[in-house]
Amino acid sequence: MSIDVTVKIGGEAGQGIQTVGTLLARTCRRAGLYVMAVNDFESRIRGGHNFFQARIRDQVVRAADDRVHLLVGLDAATDDLHHDQLVPGGLAVMDDASKPSGDKILPVPFTALAREAGGKILANTVAAGACLALLGAPLELFQDVLSEQFKEKPGVIQDNQKAAALGYHAVEKTEFPHAFAWKETAPKGMLLSGDQAIALGAAAADCRFSAFYPMSPSTGIHLHLTALADRLPLVVEQAEDEIAAVNMAVGASFAGVRAMTATSGGGFCLMTEGLGLAGMSETPLVVIDAQRPGPATGMATRTAQADLLFLIHASQDEFPRFVFAPKTLEDGFTVTVRAFELSEKYQVPALILVDQYFIDSLVLVDTPLQAPASLERFILEPAPEAAAGYRRYAFTPEGVSPRALPGRSRALVVFDGNEHRDDGHTTEEAANRTRMVDKRNAKIPSMRKEMHPPETFHPDAETILVGWGSTYGVIRETVERLREKSIDIGHVHFTDLWPFPVDPGKAALATARRRITVENNSTGQLARLLRQETGIALEGKILKYDGRPFYAGELEKRVRNLLEEGS
Amino acid sequence: MIPVETYDIDNENEWCPGCGNFGILKAVKKALSELDIPPHEILVVSGIGQAAKTPHFMKCSGFHSLHGRALPLATGAKIANHALNILVHMGDGDCYGEGGNHFMHAVRRNIDVTAIVHDNRVFGLTKGQASPTSAPGMITKAQPHGVVAGAFNPLAVALVLGAGFVAQGFSGKPDHLSALIQKGIRHKGFSLINVLQPCVSFNPVNTHQWYAERVYPLEETDHRTDDLPLALQKAMEGDARIPIGVFYAEKKPSYTDRLPALEQGPLLDRPFAPETFQTLLDALF
Repeated sequence: MSIDVTVKIGGEAGQGIQTVGTLLARTCRRAGLYVMAVNDFESRIRGGHNFFQARIRDQVVRAADDRVHLLVGLDAATDDLHHDQLVPGGLAVMDDASKPSGDKILPVPFTALAREAGGKILANTVAAGACLALLGAPLELFQDVLSEQFKEKPGVIQDNQKAAALGYHAVEKTEFPHAFAWKETAPKGMLLSGDQAIALGAAAADCRFSAFYPMSPSTGIHLHLTALADRLPLVVEQAEDEIAAVNMAVGASFAGVRAMTATSGGGFCLMTEGLGLAGMSETPLVVIDAQRPGPATGMATRTAQADLLFLIHASQDEFPRFVFAPKTLEDGFTVTVRAFELSEKYQVPALILVDQYFIDSLVLVDTPLQAPASLERFILEPAPEAAAGYRRYAFTPEGVSPRALPGRSRALVVFDGNEHRDDGHTTEEAANRTRMVDKRNAKIPSMRKEMHPPETFHPDAETILVGWGSTYGVIRETVERLREKSIDIGHVHFTDLWPFPVDPGKAALATARRRITVENNSTGQLARLLRQETGIALEGKILKYDGRPFYAGELEKRVRNLLEEGS
Repeated sequence: MIPVETYDIDNENEWCPGCGNFGILKAVKKALSELDIPPHEILVVSGIGQAAKTPHFMKCSGFHSLHGRALPLATGAKIANHALNILVHMGDGDCYGEGGNHFMHAVRRNIDVTAIVHDNRVFGLTKGQASPTSAPGMITKAQPHGVVAGAFNPLAVALVLGAGFVAQGFSGKPDHLSALIQKGIRHKGFSLINVLQPCVSFNPVNTHQWYAERVYPLEETDHRTDDLPLALQKAMEGDARIPIGVFYAEKKPSYTDRLPALEQGPLLDRPFAPETFQTLLDALF
């Protein structure tokens, strides 16, 4: 029998929900299980209600489900808010102080046992011990994960192991119908988080400079880069604001290293001026936008896919750029590597759209990530005799001018954010202006050829769901579930969004009778883009813009409702 | 010594006849010539404004960037290749207004660039509005009842933030200014050279004559450049008599001196080592 169990651990900010959730995921990895976890938290340091939801399977899992088998509550809200998600035979294991009894409730004295183990702070570990006991996991497995996690703090290991054992033994006699057999096996794959996937991709692409200003949900990308910086030729700088961050990245790239910045929508608003400078001066630049709901501050720790059209158009006037939205965490690694390469090849900005759901997810990945073995830098080192004639913006048929670096040869390298002649010096001359705009735009046909077609799954079905970026996993699972129920449905998913891959995009959408866009925004931005670029108007929309991601069961219901309405 | 004509360029100079920028440009070329830095070894990063056109009016490598953003751009370039010799040309509105936040943090970082701020106490290129350094009461088309806000004091601000090299020059004394620029380039760390200059088109108050009557070289007094309270006192002396020269100089490690990643040489020159990274990746798996 296949395993598909969802555990939801809830509590207040500061109770260590994420820590214990990550430990649970590591325990699954040790047992050769697949896991996909989402972090749902509020923009506060203490209090409120947060949860970590892990779906454990014995096959690849790419979406969170809304059916919960085991609720683990460090606060009363865990049961109050999520009890109705429990499946038949499901159970809420609650701290006895917050929920002494009730239907499908198993009270356990988490806090009292934590005090016995060494302090109230260990309540999360007690709860994890209880959770694993109910799932049928061997205690030793969890004890091993704890020793590894706290290997630099022996005292902490002991207290945590004691807390885990107390939680474990408190419930081990309880029959839990959704328990499953845990095999003794080698650990499987790696646990990858979204922010880590992007950071690893940047490092793999030989990014050597990253500047940032802290902003949820993007900050983790820089924390992961910082963790790598001591071992790689990499400088990570916390700038005074996002304007400085993007301009530092432009400066570093101009001087010759691959450079990036990452932010969320509000920070990206501040970066649009610098983005235009990269566009005008033809300086390579990679910017990651980890989307959250807006406008303005919006909801800092929630998710959205509402910056697509903004990124395609950001900054005044017109200039070529790449826009990508990785569909899975592994794809986040690969797309980031490609973004650096393409940005340098065409001397244009490359923008990557992820979101809070993507960034804060944790997924077990079973294929090792591969760094490229070699890089092409697309940089010219003019010979001394050629240096005197060097012209930064020399006109070429494909629009890309050979790029030399300042201070590396006898060439005078002049970059300009004003309209300029081919030697980089400012001019307002009319014919030159037209020619320079045409030169920059001349890159677009070659850039478009670099774009990958959308991924398709039964595109010739009667109905297709169309999506972009992080919703890939949940859409695919929904389509698979519906196909098992004999519904003729397929999936078309875009990662490469700009320059829009017109011909393959059209082809993917051509056959289905009913095409439904699925997006985390309120207007259906992909549908608008598709209509603009292909002339195809999609027949339906499933939109969610409450700041939360789609869950598999939820999306399945919404698709069924839409199909029933229309039949 | 490199002949000073080496830096001459065949572009039309767009500055107004009589502009203080000409004196500054002359001083820059003289400094580079005497320091033996050829055009291809100098990088001029500039913001936007009349001052920021400098890289088009002399032979050099350059990046004419955005209003206010020259310092962060120069910071990124210096981190990427700290062998670069970077001059940052900005105006008073550019550096102290639009780029005010960047100015403060460039000082705090002690990034090793020489900031040459063309301070004419007015916005020239947009035709005559008040700037952060305009004196209160100055009347312009945009401030018909006179400037209300107090004047920004760049020297005092830089000193208070711990700048290691703070100087002021006057465009009417290019030889004196050239010596300051040479010291600024030699100083390892952030150097601020605020250059007083007239705007012949839009500042009828602070004219060449007005400055010429007021400036006095600190070298001709008993000023010491290692005394911070004294430097601050000089920076706050007001407009009756205006000191020029080095206010304060202190050696301390620059930003790029303190980055472990740069100990083995410029970041740009570090070899690409995919195997090191693959080992890190494999360890995660």
